[in-house]
Amino acid sequence: MSQAEIQTRKGASLRGTLSGQSLGLILGILPLVSFMGVFFFWPLWSVLWSSFQDNVGAFTLANFQVALGEPYKTAFSNSISLGLISAISSAIPGAVIAYVIESRGGERLRQFVASISGVLSTTGGVPLAFMFIAAYGAEGSATAVLRAFGINIYAGTFTLYSLAGVIFVYSYFMIPTMVIVFSPAVHGIRKEWQEAAKNLGATTAQFWRRVGIPLLFPSFISSLLLLFAAAFSAYATARAMTSGSVALVPLMIGNLVDGNVINDQMNLGKALAMGMVLVSLVAMIPYLLIQRRASRWQ
Amino acid sequence: MFAKLKNLPLGIVLFISGVFVLLPLGSAAEFSLRQPASNDHGLNNYLWIFEQPEFAHYIGISIALASVASLILLVLLVPTVVWLNLKGQKLRPFVDFITLMPLVIPVVALAIGAQNSLPEFAQTNQFILSFLYAVLAMPYAYRTLDTGLKAIPLKTISEAARGLGANWFVAIFRVITPVIRGTVLSALFMSLALSFGEYTVTSLLHWDTFTTWVTVISQQNVMGAIALSVFSLLAIFIFLLLVGLLAKPATSQALKEEE
Repeated sequence: MSQAEIQTRKGASLRGTLSGQSLGLILGILPLVSFMGVFFFWPLWSVLWSSFQDNVGAFTLANFQVALGEPYKTAFSNSISLGLISAISSAIPGAVIAYVIESRGGERLRQFVASISGVLSTTGGVPLAFMFIAAYGAEGSATAVLRAFGINIYAGTFTLYSLAGVIFVYSYFMIPTMVIVFSPAVHGIRKEWQEAAKNLGATTAQFWRRVGIPLLFPSFISSLLLLFAAAFSAYATARAMTSGSVALVPLMIGNLVDGNVINDQMNLGKALAMGMVLVSLVAMIPYLLIQRRASRWQ
Repeated sequence: MFAKLKNLPLGIVLFISGVFVLLPLGSAAEFSLRQPASNDHGLNNYLWIFEQPEFAHYIGISIALASVASLILLVLLVPTVVWLNLKGQKLRPFVDFITLMPLVIPVVALAIGAQNSLPEFAQTNQFILSFLYAVLAMPYAYRTLDTGLKAIPLKTISEAARGLGANWFVAIFRVITPVIRGTVLSALFMSLALSFGEYTVTSLLHWDTFTTWVTVISQQNVMGAIALSVFSLLAIFIFLLLVGLLAKPATSQALKEEE
Protein backbone atom coordinates (compact mmCIF):
# COMPACT_ATOMS: atom_id res chain seq x y z
CA MET A 1 0.00 0.00 0.00
CA SER A 2 1.47 3.32 -1.00
CA GLN A 3 1.77 6.27 1.29
CA ALA A 4 -0.88 8.16 -0.67
CA GLU A 5 -3.31 5.26 -0.41
CA ILE A 6 -2.90 5.13 3.34
CA GLN A 7 -3.47 8.84 3.49
CA THR A 8 -6.71 8.66 1.52
CA ARG A 9 -7.92 5.69 3.52
CA LYS A 10 -7.25 7.52 6.71
CA GLY A 11 -8.97 10.58 5.34
CA ALA A 12 -11.96 8.58 4.15
CA SER A 13 -12.41 6.77 7.41
CA LEU A 14 -12.05 10.00 9.34
CA ARG A 15 -14.58 11.72 7.18
CA GLY A 16 -16.65 8.55 7.37
CA THR A 17 -16.98 8.78 11.11
CA LEU A 18 -17.80 12.42 10.89
CA SER A 19 -20.30 12.66 8.07
CA GLY A 20 -20.95 9.67 5.81
CA GLN A 21 -21.31 7.11 8.54
CA SER A 22 -23.32 9.27 10.88
CA LEU A 23 -25.57 10.29 8.02
CA GLY A 24 -26.19 6.62 7.29
CA LEU A 25 -26.83 5.97 10.96
CA ILE A 26 -29.32 8.79 11.19
CA LEU A 27 -31.09 7.65 8.01
CA GLY A 28 -31.66 4.28 9.69
CA ILE A 29 -33.62 5.80 12.54
CA LEU A 30 -35.20 8.61 10.54
CA PRO A 31 -38.58 6.91 9.95
CA LEU A 32 -39.06 6.15 13.64
CA VAL A 33 -37.84 9.54 14.78
CA SER A 34 -40.05 11.42 12.31
CA PHE A 35 -43.06 9.32 13.30
CA MET A 36 -42.50 10.12 16.97
CA GLY A 37 -41.89 13.74 16.03
CA VAL A 38 -45.20 14.14 14.21
CA PHE A 39 -47.45 12.08 16.47
CA PHE A 40 -45.85 12.60 19.86
CA PHE A 41 -43.40 15.48 20.23
CA TRP A 42 -45.22 17.92 17.98
CA PRO A 43 -48.55 17.51 19.86
CA LEU A 44 -46.74 17.93 23.19
CA TRP A 45 -44.91 20.99 21.95
CA SER A 46 -48.25 22.47 20.87
CA VAL A 47 -49.66 21.91 24.37
CA LEU A 48 -46.68 23.69 25.89
CA TRP A 49 -46.96 26.54 23.41
CA SER A 50 -50.72 27.03 23.78
CA SER A 51 -50.57 26.85 27.55
CA PHE A 52 -48.86 30.24 27.48
CA GLN A 53 -51.46 31.80 25.17
CA ASP A 54 -54.72 33.53 25.94
CA ASN A 55 -57.87 33.14 23.81
CA VAL A 56 -56.59 35.43 21.07
CA GLY A 57 -53.08 33.97 21.00
CA ALA A 58 -51.21 36.57 23.03
CA PHE A 59 -48.65 35.54 25.63
CA THR A 60 -50.05 35.09 29.13
CA LEU A 61 -49.38 33.36 32.43
CA ALA A 62 -53.04 33.50 33.39
CA ASN A 63 -53.69 29.82 32.52
CA PHE A 64 -51.07 28.75 35.02
CA GLN A 65 -52.35 31.17 37.62
CA VAL A 66 -55.80 29.58 37.41
CA ALA A 67 -54.29 26.07 37.26
CA LEU A 68 -52.47 26.71 40.53
CA GLY A 69 -55.60 27.98 42.29
CA GLU A 70 -58.68 26.14 43.51
CA PRO A 71 -60.24 23.74 42.60
CA TYR A 72 -57.21 22.60 40.60
CA LYS A 73 -54.84 22.85 43.56
CA THR A 74 -56.90 20.26 45.42
CA ALA A 75 -57.03 18.10 42.29
CA PHE A 76 -53.24 18.16 42.00
CA SER A 77 -52.82 17.30 45.65
CA ASN A 78 -55.40 14.47 45.31
CA SER A 79 -53.68 13.10 42.21
CA ILE A 80 -50.26 13.23 43.82
CA SER A 81 -51.52 11.50 46.99
CA LEU A 82 -53.29 8.91 44.85
CA GLY A 83 -50.02 8.30 43.01
CA LEU A 84 -47.94 8.07 46.19
CA ILE A 85 -50.29 5.91 48.28
CA SER A 86 -51.05 3.69 45.33
CA ALA A 87 -47.35 3.28 44.49
CA ILE A 88 -46.32 2.46 48.06
CA SER A 89 -49.19 0.09 48.73
CA SER A 90 -48.48 -1.82 45.51
CA ALA A 91 -44.69 -1.66 45.59
CA ILE A 92 -44.32 -3.41 48.95
CA PRO A 93 -46.40 -6.53 48.17
CA GLY A 94 -44.99 -6.54 44.63
CA ALA A 95 -41.41 -6.50 45.94
CA VAL A 96 -42.17 -9.33 48.40
CA ILE A 97 -43.76 -11.45 45.66
CA ALA A 98 -40.83 -10.77 43.32
CA TYR A 99 -38.34 -11.72 46.02
CA VAL A 100 -40.08 -14.91 47.12
CA ILE A 101 -40.69 -16.10 43.54
CA GLU A 102 -37.17 -15.25 42.37
CA SER A 103 -35.42 -16.79 45.36
CA ARG A 104 -37.57 -19.87 45.93
CA GLY A 105 -39.42 -20.56 42.70
CA GLY A 106 -38.15 -22.85 39.96
CA GLU A 107 -37.40 -21.66 36.45
CA ARG A 108 -40.81 -22.75 35.19
CA LEU A 109 -42.73 -20.99 37.99
CA ARG A 110 -40.75 -17.79 37.42
CA GLN A 111 -41.58 -17.91 33.72
CA PHE A 112 -45.24 -18.49 34.54
CA VAL A 113 -45.40 -15.62 37.05
CA ALA A 114 -43.65 -13.36 34.54
CA SER A 115 -46.19 -14.03 31.80
CA ILE A 116 -49.19 -13.73 34.16
CA SER A 117 -47.78 -10.44 35.50
CA GLY A 118 -47.26 -9.22 31.96
CA VAL A 119 -50.88 -9.88 31.11
CA LEU A 120 -52.25 -8.37 34.35
CA SER A 121 -50.11 -5.26 34.05
CA THR A 122 -51.85 -4.39 30.78
CA THR A 123 -55.32 -4.50 32.34
CA GLY A 124 -56.96 -1.32 33.37
CA GLY A 125 -59.42 0.98 31.83
CA VAL A 126 -63.15 0.63 31.97
CA PRO A 127 -63.42 -3.19 32.01
CA LEU A 128 -61.28 -3.38 35.16
CA ALA A 129 -63.48 -0.82 36.89
CA PHE A 130 -66.62 -2.80 36.05
CA MET A 131 -65.00 -6.04 37.14
CA PHE A 132 -64.27 -4.59 40.59
CA ILE A 133 -67.72 -3.01 40.87
CA ALA A 134 -69.25 -6.44 40.19
CA ALA A 135 -66.90 -8.35 42.47
CA TYR A 136 -66.38 -6.02 45.41
CA GLY A 137 -69.63 -4.09 45.27
CA ALA A 138 -72.07 -4.48 48.15
CA GLU A 139 -73.76 -7.36 46.30
CA GLY A 140 -70.61 -8.90 44.86
CA SER A 141 -69.62 -12.44 45.69
CA ALA A 142 -65.98 -11.47 46.38
CA THR A 143 -67.32 -9.24 49.17
CA ALA A 144 -69.40 -12.18 50.39
CA VAL A 145 -66.45 -14.59 50.28
CA LEU A 146 -64.28 -12.17 52.28
CA ARG A 147 -67.11 -11.65 54.77
CA ALA A 148 -67.38 -15.41 55.23
CA PHE A 149 -63.71 -15.35 56.27
CA GLY A 150 -64.37 -12.55 58.72
CA ILE A 151 -63.19 -9.67 56.54
CA ASN A 152 -65.93 -7.13 56.07
CA ILE A 153 -64.60 -4.51 53.69
CA TYR A 154 -67.67 -2.37 54.30
CA ALA A 155 -67.30 -2.33 58.09
CA GLY A 156 -65.68 1.12 57.96
CA THR A 157 -66.33 3.96 55.59
CA PHE A 158 -64.84 2.22 52.57
CA THR A 159 -66.58 2.52 49.23
CA LEU A 160 -65.25 1.57 45.81
CA TYR A 161 -66.20 4.97 44.47
CA SER A 162 -63.65 6.88 46.57
CA LEU A 163 -59.92 7.51 46.45
CA ALA A 164 -59.38 4.38 48.57
CA GLY A 165 -61.50 2.40 46.11
CA VAL A 166 -59.51 3.64 43.14
CA ILE A 167 -56.24 2.72 44.92
CA PHE A 168 -57.63 -0.76 45.58
CA VAL A 169 -58.56 -1.23 41.91
CA TYR A 170 -55.21 0.11 40.67
CA SER A 171 -53.36 -2.47 42.77
CA TYR A 172 -54.72 -5.12 40.39
CA PHE A 173 -52.37 -3.95 37.65
CA MET A 174 -49.78 -2.10 39.78
CA ILE A 175 -48.66 -5.07 41.90
CA PRO A 176 -47.99 -7.18 38.76
CA THR A 177 -46.16 -4.20 37.23
CA MET A 178 -43.98 -4.05 40.35
CA VAL A 179 -43.26 -7.78 40.07
CA ILE A 180 -42.10 -7.23 36.47
CA VAL A 181 -39.89 -4.21 37.08
CA PHE A 182 -38.44 -5.35 40.42
CA SER A 183 -37.69 -9.01 39.59
CA PRO A 184 -34.52 -8.27 37.60
CA ALA A 185 -33.10 -6.43 40.63
CA VAL A 186 -33.84 -9.35 42.95
CA HIS A 187 -32.40 -11.70 40.37
CA GLY A 188 -29.21 -9.64 40.51
CA ILE A 189 -28.71 -10.42 44.23
CA ARG A 190 -26.42 -13.30 43.53
CA LYS A 191 -26.47 -16.38 45.70
CA GLU A 192 -22.68 -16.13 45.79
CA TRP A 193 -22.85 -12.76 47.56
CA GLN A 194 -25.03 -14.23 50.26
CA GLU A 195 -22.59 -17.13 50.60
CA ALA A 196 -19.60 -14.80 50.58
CA ALA A 197 -21.14 -12.71 53.36
CA LYS A 198 -21.87 -15.87 55.34
CA ASN A 199 -18.30 -17.10 54.91
CA LEU A 200 -17.05 -13.77 56.22
CA GLY A 201 -19.16 -14.34 59.33
CA ALA A 202 -22.24 -12.23 58.57
CA THR A 203 -25.62 -13.29 59.86
CA THR A 204 -28.61 -13.25 57.53
CA ALA A 205 -29.84 -10.03 59.14
CA GLN A 206 -26.42 -8.45 58.69
CA PHE A 207 -26.31 -9.51 55.06
CA TRP A 208 -29.65 -7.83 54.41
CA ARG A 209 -28.81 -4.68 56.34
CA ARG A 210 -25.34 -4.19 54.86
CA VAL A 211 -25.60 -5.74 51.39
CA GLY A 212 -29.06 -6.80 50.27
CA ILE A 213 -31.15 -3.76 51.12
CA PRO A 214 -28.55 -1.16 50.04
CA LEU A 215 -28.34 -2.99 46.70
CA LEU A 216 -32.09 -3.31 46.21
CA PHE A 217 -33.04 0.11 47.55
CA PRO A 218 -32.29 2.13 44.38
CA SER A 219 -34.28 -0.32 42.25
CA PHE A 220 -37.12 -0.24 44.75
CA ILE A 221 -37.25 3.54 44.66
CA SER A 222 -37.09 3.64 40.88
CA SER A 223 -39.89 1.07 40.57
CA LEU A 224 -41.89 3.11 43.06
CA LEU A 225 -41.47 6.18 40.86
CA LEU A 226 -42.66 4.27 37.81
CA LEU A 227 -45.76 3.13 39.69
CA PHE A 228 -46.32 6.66 40.91
CA ALA A 229 -46.30 7.98 37.35
CA ALA A 230 -48.72 5.26 36.23
CA ALA A 231 -51.22 5.89 39.03
CA PHE A 232 -50.84 9.66 38.85
CA SER A 233 -51.82 9.84 35.20
CA ALA A 234 -54.32 6.96 34.88
CA TYR A 235 -57.61 8.20 33.48
CA ALA A 236 -60.04 5.55 32.32
CA THR A 237 -60.41 3.47 35.49
CA ALA A 238 -60.66 6.53 37.73
CA ARG A 239 -63.28 8.04 35.49
CA ALA A 240 -65.40 4.90 35.33
CA MET A 241 -65.10 4.34 39.11
CA THR A 242 -65.74 7.77 40.52
CA SER A 243 -67.69 9.39 37.67
CA GLY A 244 -66.21 12.69 38.74
CA SER A 245 -66.93 12.52 42.48
CA VAL A 246 -63.21 12.62 43.32
CA ALA A 247 -61.30 15.65 42.05
CA LEU A 248 -58.32 14.32 40.05
CA VAL A 249 -56.35 16.34 37.50
CA PRO A 250 -56.79 14.00 34.51
CA LEU A 251 -60.55 13.90 35.11
CA MET A 252 -60.70 17.69 35.35
CA ILE A 253 -58.81 18.00 32.08
CA GLY A 254 -61.24 15.53 30.56
CA ASN A 255 -64.19 17.58 31.79
CA LEU A 256 -62.73 20.71 30.21
CA VAL A 257 -62.10 18.93 26.92
CA ASP A 258 -65.57 17.38 26.84
CA GLY A 259 -67.12 20.74 27.60
CA ASN A 260 -68.75 19.43 30.79
CA VAL A 261 -67.12 22.32 32.59
CA ILE A 262 -67.07 25.68 30.89
CA ASN A 263 -64.11 27.91 31.48
CA ASP A 264 -63.62 31.12 29.56
CA GLN A 265 -59.89 30.44 29.30
CA MET A 266 -59.71 27.97 26.42
CA ASN A 267 -56.11 26.99 27.17
CA LEU A 268 -56.61 26.19 30.85
CA GLY A 269 -56.69 22.45 30.10
CA LYS A 270 -53.28 22.73 28.43
CA ALA A 271 -51.79 24.43 31.46
CA LEU A 272 -53.17 21.62 33.63
CA ALA A 273 -51.74 19.06 31.21
CA MET A 274 -48.33 20.77 31.40
CA GLY A 275 -48.59 20.58 35.19
CA MET A 276 -49.11 16.83 34.88
CA VAL A 277 -46.18 16.50 32.49
CA LEU A 278 -44.01 18.38 34.95
CA VAL A 279 -44.97 16.15 37.89
CA SER A 280 -44.38 13.02 35.77
CA LEU A 281 -40.98 14.27 34.64
CA VAL A 282 -39.97 15.01 38.22
CA ALA A 283 -40.80 11.40 39.06
CA MET A 284 -39.42 9.76 35.92
CA ILE A 285 -36.06 11.48 35.53
CA PRO A 286 -34.69 9.98 38.77
CA TYR A 287 -36.24 6.68 37.64
CA LEU A 288 -34.24 6.74 34.40
CA LEU A 289 -31.03 7.75 36.18
CA ILE A 290 -31.36 5.03 38.83
CA GLN A 291 -32.22 2.42 36.21
CA ARG A 292 -29.06 3.24 34.30
CA ARG A 293 -26.98 2.97 37.46
CA ALA A 294 -28.62 -0.23 38.61
CA SER A 295 -28.12 -1.88 35.21
CA ARG A 296 -24.36 -1.78 35.86
CA TRP A 297 -24.42 -4.59 38.36
CA GLN A 298 -27.44 -6.52 37.11
CA MET B 1 -40.82 -32.41 55.40
CA PHE B 2 -37.91 -30.01 55.48
CA ALA B 3 -38.42 -29.19 51.83
CA LYS B 4 -42.08 -28.47 52.50
CA LEU B 5 -41.27 -26.10 55.38
CA LYS B 6 -38.73 -24.33 53.26
CA ASN B 7 -41.34 -23.75 50.59
CA LEU B 8 -43.93 -22.47 53.03
CA PRO B 9 -43.32 -18.75 52.20
CA LEU B 10 -43.58 -19.60 48.50
CA GLY B 11 -46.86 -21.41 49.12
CA ILE B 12 -48.29 -18.51 51.10
CA VAL B 13 -47.28 -15.97 48.46
CA LEU B 14 -48.69 -18.08 45.64
CA PHE B 15 -51.95 -18.65 47.53
CA ILE B 16 -52.50 -14.98 48.36
CA SER B 17 -51.54 -13.85 44.85
CA GLY B 18 -53.85 -16.46 43.37
CA VAL B 19 -56.77 -15.24 45.50
CA PHE B 20 -55.92 -11.62 44.69
CA VAL B 21 -56.00 -12.31 40.94
CA LEU B 22 -58.77 -14.90 40.66
CA LEU B 23 -61.29 -13.79 43.31
CA PRO B 24 -62.41 -10.58 41.58
CA LEU B 25 -62.25 -12.23 38.17
CA GLY B 26 -64.31 -15.27 39.20
CA SER B 27 -66.67 -13.18 41.24
CA ALA B 28 -67.30 -10.73 38.40
CA ALA B 29 -67.85 -13.67 36.05
CA GLU B 30 -70.46 -15.04 38.48
CA PHE B 31 -72.06 -11.61 38.78
CA SER B 32 -72.29 -11.30 35.00
CA LEU B 33 -74.30 -14.54 34.89
CA ARG B 34 -76.89 -13.32 37.39
CA GLN B 35 -80.39 -12.75 36.06
CA PRO B 36 -82.12 -10.43 38.52
CA ALA B 37 -85.51 -10.75 36.79
CA SER B 38 -85.78 -14.50 37.32
CA ASN B 39 -83.38 -14.61 40.28
CA ASP B 40 -81.14 -17.30 38.79
CA HIS B 41 -77.99 -17.61 36.68
CA GLY B 42 -77.86 -17.79 32.93
CA LEU B 43 -76.48 -16.29 29.77
CA ASN B 44 -79.08 -13.54 29.40
CA ASN B 45 -76.63 -10.65 29.89
CA TYR B 46 -74.32 -12.10 27.28
CA LEU B 47 -77.17 -12.74 24.86
CA TRP B 48 -78.26 -9.15 25.37
CA ILE B 49 -74.82 -7.95 24.24
CA PHE B 50 -74.99 -9.89 21.02
CA GLU B 51 -78.46 -8.55 20.31
CA GLN B 52 -77.15 -5.00 20.29
CA PRO B 53 -76.75 -3.88 16.70
CA GLU B 54 -73.74 -1.70 17.72
CA PHE B 55 -71.84 -4.69 19.08
CA ALA B 56 -70.53 -5.97 15.75
CA HIS B 57 -70.07 -2.43 14.48
CA TYR B 58 -67.81 -1.35 17.36
CA ILE B 59 -65.91 -4.62 17.54
CA GLY B 60 -65.20 -4.18 13.84
CA ILE B 61 -63.98 -0.60 14.30
CA SER B 62 -61.77 -1.54 17.23
CA ILE B 63 -60.22 -4.50 15.44
CA ALA B 64 -59.56 -2.39 12.33
CA LEU B 65 -57.96 0.44 14.33
CA ALA B 66 -55.86 -1.95 16.42
CA SER B 67 -54.69 -3.88 13.34
CA VAL B 68 -53.60 -0.73 11.55
CA ALA B 69 -51.81 0.48 14.70
CA SER B 70 -49.94 -2.82 15.07
CA LEU B 71 -49.02 -2.85 11.40
CA ILE B 72 -47.63 0.70 11.63
CA LEU B 73 -45.60 -0.29 14.69
CA LEU B 74 -44.09 -3.39 13.12
CA VAL B 75 -43.24 -1.79 9.80
CA LEU B 76 -41.63 1.09 11.67
CA LEU B 77 -39.92 -0.83 14.45
CA VAL B 78 -38.61 -4.09 12.96
CA PRO B 79 -36.19 -2.44 10.51
CA THR B 80 -35.22 0.27 13.00
CA VAL B 81 -34.46 -2.14 15.83
CA VAL B 82 -32.52 -4.46 13.51
CA TRP B 83 -30.57 -1.45 12.30
CA LEU B 84 -29.87 -0.27 15.84
CA ASN B 85 -28.64 -3.70 16.89
CA LEU B 86 -26.40 -4.07 13.83
CA LYS B 87 -24.93 -0.64 13.30
CA GLY B 88 -26.55 2.01 15.38
CA GLN B 89 -25.10 1.29 18.82
CA LYS B 90 -24.16 4.96 19.17
CA LEU B 91 -27.73 6.08 18.64
CA ARG B 92 -29.19 3.59 21.09
CA PRO B 93 -29.42 5.86 24.15
CA PHE B 94 -31.26 8.44 22.06
CA VAL B 95 -33.73 5.98 20.54
CA ASP B 96 -34.21 4.21 23.89
CA PHE B 97 -35.08 7.57 25.35
CA ILE B 98 -37.59 8.74 22.74
CA THR B 99 -39.38 5.38 22.63
CA LEU B 100 -39.72 5.37 26.41
CA MET B 101 -41.26 8.84 26.54
CA PRO B 102 -44.89 7.77 25.85
CA LEU B 103 -44.68 5.86 29.12
CA VAL B 104 -43.50 8.98 30.95
CA ILE B 105 -45.81 11.63 29.55
CA PRO B 106 -49.44 11.37 30.77
CA VAL B 107 -51.73 10.12 28.00
CA VAL B 108 -54.14 12.97 28.71
CA ALA B 109 -51.44 15.45 27.64
CA LEU B 110 -50.89 13.60 24.36
CA ALA B 111 -54.64 13.54 23.70
CA ILE B 112 -54.96 17.29 24.26
CA GLY B 113 -51.90 17.89 22.11
CA ALA B 114 -53.26 15.79 19.27
CA GLN B 115 -56.51 17.69 19.41
CA ASN B 116 -54.62 20.98 19.45
CA SER B 117 -52.04 20.35 16.76
CA LEU B 118 -53.15 17.82 14.16
CA PRO B 119 -54.61 19.22 10.96
CA GLU B 120 -58.32 19.09 10.23
CA PHE B 121 -58.16 16.20 7.74
CA ALA B 122 -56.34 14.05 10.30
CA GLN B 123 -58.81 14.84 13.05
CA THR B 124 -61.86 13.97 10.98
CA ASN B 125 -60.54 10.52 10.10
CA GLN B 126 -60.90 7.89 12.79
CA PHE B 127 -57.71 6.16 11.66
CA ILE B 128 -55.73 8.96 13.30
CA LEU B 129 -56.37 6.89 16.43
CA SER B 130 -54.25 4.07 14.99
CA PHE B 131 -51.25 6.39 14.81
CA LEU B 132 -51.75 7.53 18.39
CA TYR B 133 -52.28 3.94 19.59
CA ALA B 134 -48.99 3.08 17.88
CA VAL B 135 -47.28 5.86 19.86
CA LEU B 136 -48.76 4.56 23.13
CA ALA B 137 -47.75 0.93 22.45
CA MET B 138 -44.27 2.00 21.29
CA PRO B 139 -42.41 1.52 24.63
CA TYR B 140 -43.70 -2.05 24.97
CA ALA B 141 -43.25 -3.10 21.34
CA TYR B 142 -39.78 -1.55 21.08
CA ARG B 143 -38.51 -3.31 24.19
CA THR B 144 -40.05 -6.65 23.21
CA LEU B 145 -38.41 -6.56 19.78
CA ASP B 146 -35.11 -5.35 21.19
CA THR B 147 -34.93 -8.19 23.73
CA GLY B 148 -35.79 -10.71 21.02
CA LEU B 149 -33.11 -9.43 18.66
CA LYS B 150 -30.47 -9.48 21.38
CA ALA B 151 -31.12 -13.19 21.87
CA ILE B 152 -30.17 -14.22 18.30
CA PRO B 153 -26.81 -14.10 16.48
CA LEU B 154 -28.06 -11.16 14.44
CA LYS B 155 -24.72 -10.20 12.94
CA THR B 156 -23.99 -13.67 11.61
CA ILE B 157 -27.45 -14.07 10.14
CA SER B 158 -27.49 -10.72 8.42
CA GLU B 159 -23.94 -11.12 7.11
CA ALA B 160 -24.88 -14.52 5.71
CA ALA B 161 -27.98 -13.08 4.04
CA ARG B 162 -26.06 -10.12 2.65
CA GLY B 163 -23.22 -12.37 1.55
CA LEU B 164 -25.66 -14.49 -0.44
CA GLY B 165 -26.77 -11.38 -2.27
CA ALA B 166 -29.83 -10.26 -0.32
CA ASN B 167 -30.36 -6.53 -0.10
CA TRP B 168 -31.29 -4.94 3.22
CA PHE B 169 -35.01 -5.13 2.54
CA VAL B 170 -34.88 -8.86 1.80
CA ALA B 171 -32.49 -9.47 4.70
CA ILE B 172 -34.75 -7.76 7.22
CA PHE B 173 -38.15 -8.97 6.06
CA ARG B 174 -37.39 -12.40 4.62
CA VAL B 175 -34.47 -13.58 6.73
CA ILE B 176 -34.31 -11.82 10.09
CA THR B 177 -38.04 -11.37 10.72
CA PRO B 178 -38.79 -15.11 10.29
CA VAL B 179 -35.99 -15.94 12.75
CA ILE B 180 -37.54 -13.72 15.44
CA ARG B 181 -41.15 -14.47 14.49
CA GLY B 182 -41.97 -15.40 18.10
CA THR B 183 -40.84 -12.00 19.29
CA VAL B 184 -42.55 -10.22 16.40
CA LEU B 185 -45.75 -12.08 17.25
CA SER B 186 -45.59 -11.06 20.92
CA ALA B 187 -44.95 -7.45 19.96
CA LEU B 188 -47.84 -7.66 17.48
CA PHE B 189 -50.32 -9.11 19.96
CA MET B 190 -49.20 -6.85 22.77
CA SER B 191 -49.87 -3.81 20.60
CA LEU B 192 -53.17 -5.29 19.36
CA ALA B 193 -54.33 -5.80 22.94
CA LEU B 194 -53.19 -2.36 24.11
CA SER B 195 -54.80 -0.62 21.13
CA PHE B 196 -58.01 -2.59 21.50
CA GLY B 197 -58.38 -1.49 25.12
CA GLU B 198 -57.31 2.14 24.68
CA TYR B 199 -59.79 4.54 26.24
CA THR B 200 -58.20 7.88 27.16
CA VAL B 201 -57.18 9.21 23.75
CA THR B 202 -60.25 7.71 22.09
CA SER B 203 -62.70 9.36 24.42
CA LEU B 204 -60.90 12.70 24.66
CA LEU B 205 -60.83 12.96 20.87
CA HIS B 206 -64.55 12.10 20.92
CA TRP B 207 -64.42 8.91 18.91
CA ASP B 208 -66.33 5.76 19.73
CA THR B 209 -64.80 2.31 19.80
CA PHE B 210 -65.66 -0.93 21.53
CA THR B 211 -64.07 0.30 24.78
CA THR B 212 -65.92 3.60 24.96
CA TRP B 213 -69.14 1.88 23.88
CA VAL B 214 -68.98 -0.17 27.12
CA THR B 215 -69.36 3.04 29.15
CA VAL B 216 -72.21 4.15 26.92
CA ILE B 217 -74.21 0.94 27.39
CA SER B 218 -73.49 0.87 31.12
CA GLN B 219 -75.98 3.71 31.40
CA GLN B 220 -78.74 1.55 29.86
CA ASN B 221 -77.81 -1.84 31.26
CA VAL B 222 -75.19 -2.22 33.99
CA MET B 223 -75.40 -6.02 33.91
CA GLY B 224 -74.70 -5.94 30.18
CA ALA B 225 -71.71 -3.64 30.71
CA ILE B 226 -70.34 -5.98 33.37
CA ALA B 227 -70.83 -9.01 31.13
CA LEU B 228 -69.06 -7.15 28.33
CA SER B 229 -66.18 -6.18 30.65
CA VAL B 230 -65.70 -9.74 31.92
CA PHE B 231 -65.90 -11.01 28.36
CA SER B 232 -63.29 -8.57 27.06
CA LEU B 233 -60.92 -9.06 30.04
CA LEU B 234 -61.07 -12.84 29.76
CA ALA B 235 -60.70 -12.71 25.98
CA ILE B 236 -57.58 -10.54 26.27
CA PHE B 237 -56.12 -12.67 29.11
CA ILE B 238 -56.53 -15.87 27.14
CA PHE B 239 -55.30 -14.23 23.97
CA LEU B 240 -52.11 -12.85 25.58
CA LEU B 241 -51.40 -16.01 27.57
CA LEU B 242 -51.76 -18.17 24.46
CA VAL B 243 -49.45 -15.85 22.57
CA GLY B 244 -46.98 -15.96 25.47
CA LEU B 245 -47.00 -19.74 25.34
CA LEU B 246 -46.80 -19.94 21.56
CA ALA B 247 -44.11 -17.33 21.27
CA LYS B 248 -41.66 -19.11 23.54
CA PRO B 249 -41.52 -22.72 22.36
CA ALA B 250 -37.72 -22.53 22.17
CA THR B 251 -37.32 -21.41 25.78
CA SER B 252 -39.71 -23.95 27.21
CA GLN B 253 -37.96 -26.67 25.19
CA ALA B 254 -34.66 -25.58 26.69
CA LEU B 255 -36.23 -25.65 30.14
CA LYS B 256 -37.49 -29.18 29.65
CA GLU B 257 -34.00 -30.32 28.81
CA GLU B 258 -32.66 -28.56 31.87
CA GLU B 259 -34.97 -30.38 34.24
